[in-house]
Amino acid sequence: MKKFFINIRYFIVPVLCSVTILGLIVGGPFVWTGAVLFLVGITIDTLVIKFHTKGAGVDENGKSYGIKELQNLVMYFMLPVFIILQVALAWRVYQYTNGADFGLVTLFGWLPVQTGITGLELYGATLSAGAFAGLGIIYGHELSHTKDIGWPISRLMMGLSGAAHFCYAHVYNHHLELAHENDPATSPRGRSLYKHFWLSHMGQSKFSYDLEREKLEKQGKSFFSLDNKWITGYIISLPTIILFVWAGGIVGVACMFFLWTVSNFELEALNYMEHFGLVREKDKPIEHRHSWDNDTAFTSWFFIEIGRQCDHHVRGETHFWELEDVGGPNPGWGYFTGFTLALVPPLWHALIKKKLDHWDNTFANDAEREIATKINKQASYA
Amino acid sequence: MFENVLNFFIKKDKHFVANVVNANKTLKVRRGEKLLTAALENGIKWPHYCRVGSCGTCRCKLLEGKIRPLTDFGYVLGAEQLKEGYILACQSILKSEIKVELNFKQKRIRRTKI
Ligand code: FES
Repeated sequence: MKKFFINIRYFIVPVLCSVTILGLIVGGPFVWTGAVLFLVGITIDTLVIKFHTKGAGVDENGKSYGIKELQNLVMYFMLPVFIILQVALAWRVYQYTNGADFGLVTLFGWLPVQTGITGLELYGATLSAGAFAGLGIIYGHELSHTKDIGWPISRLMMGLSGAAHFCYAHVYNHHLELAHENDPATSPRGRSLYKHFWLSHMGQSKFSYDLEREKLEKQGKSFFSLDNKWITGYIISLPTIILFVWAGGIVGVACMFFLWTVSNFELEALNYMEHFGLVREKDKPIEHRHSWDNDTAFTSWFFIEIGRQCDHHVRGETHFWELEDVGGPNPGWGYFTGFTLALVPPLWHALIKKKLDHWDNTFANDAEREIATKINKQASYA
Repeated sequence: MFENVLNFFIKKDKHFVANVVNANKTLKVRRGEKLLTAALENGIKWPHYCRVGSCGTCRCKLLEGKIRPLTDFGYVLGAEQLKEGYILACQSILKSEIKVELNFKQKRIRRTKI
């Protein structure tokens, strides 16, 4: 029974994402469900800030309590769930642009559905869908490491948000270069989340572009080839673009870009919090100290242990349920709380500066401390 | 009950043997397990760095047997190395017993642009 409960606690997002879809279908004020659930997440994560966890744990034989087949199945299952989320939003866009009559119909004989949608409700629907589409990251990320069948599923999931390049940039760049200026996903000290969002997104896409160019050159193939994963990454996003153009023309495209902005903002916010301001000498081994762990109970379960970054970056092949607490740097807050702080840059910098001071004095080696001292001056952290 | 239902779908444990010929070391690799993971679990000091298939530190030459690559090795290994049968241990699942040759002192492979 213990094993059962340990496994189902990682199903918060699948359940809440389904509830968000239901909200989009039911319509009226319920289109705000996803956005409200996100705010509830911020509240819970902040309230339980003192409760930290140590991962799924192991049984008396040293075997992880996590059930690989079950967890993988749920992650694969999230692909159609995220597709349905987009289709539900596109349906609402279609209703808005076609001026559907306001009224109440009953679906399947039991589900009351409000037809028609106001402009404000369409905004709420897009925000809700974006908030949960962004959570596709946690599955896209995990599956990009699982490889095999997980890899194309990961690409498709990220492609739903126009970010299929993430898979290659994450594995071939971020996992080699993190906590160094060669990694666009690592934010240096002094940078705001808003600036990082843009620089990290474009930097990773550029990396993926260069990676493919070099690969194809080596293979003597044209850049404009279906073997170019940077190009095919964007082709994967075409069905989404076509869906929203069909559903609402210009309004549809605007909603899609808003959806993508919200979901990619969440992706880059995670990158921002995972390694903010940490320093590593070029080519020196990646150690636990080069990532921040975020392991409040709610963050760990909601984000399927993605916050256990210190272990993840040293044992990149390890499934999320096998990741452990390794005593690495930890700001003490969860992702929802950290995200809220990062939305207000002066507040974020004031708080993270103290955490980085501690990192410089406790975790950094001499060479890293020297680099950090220089950067602190440039970033006005000193 | 819950576990019984799951166990019904999960195949029984099975393994293949990997032989590092130049070091005269033999190890058991579980079905679906990566070669590098098994080697490290068996206490073999197999060179590695990223463990996600991007640095090439764990490469070895496949002399006999079959593996299933989890990634396109072409992003990391050169055309010559691929032709010679080099594989990335951290991204290789065994499909049969294998024999490999490993340079325990090798370093990471660098992309030219970084
Ligand atoms: S350890 Fe980096 S490619 Fe295998």
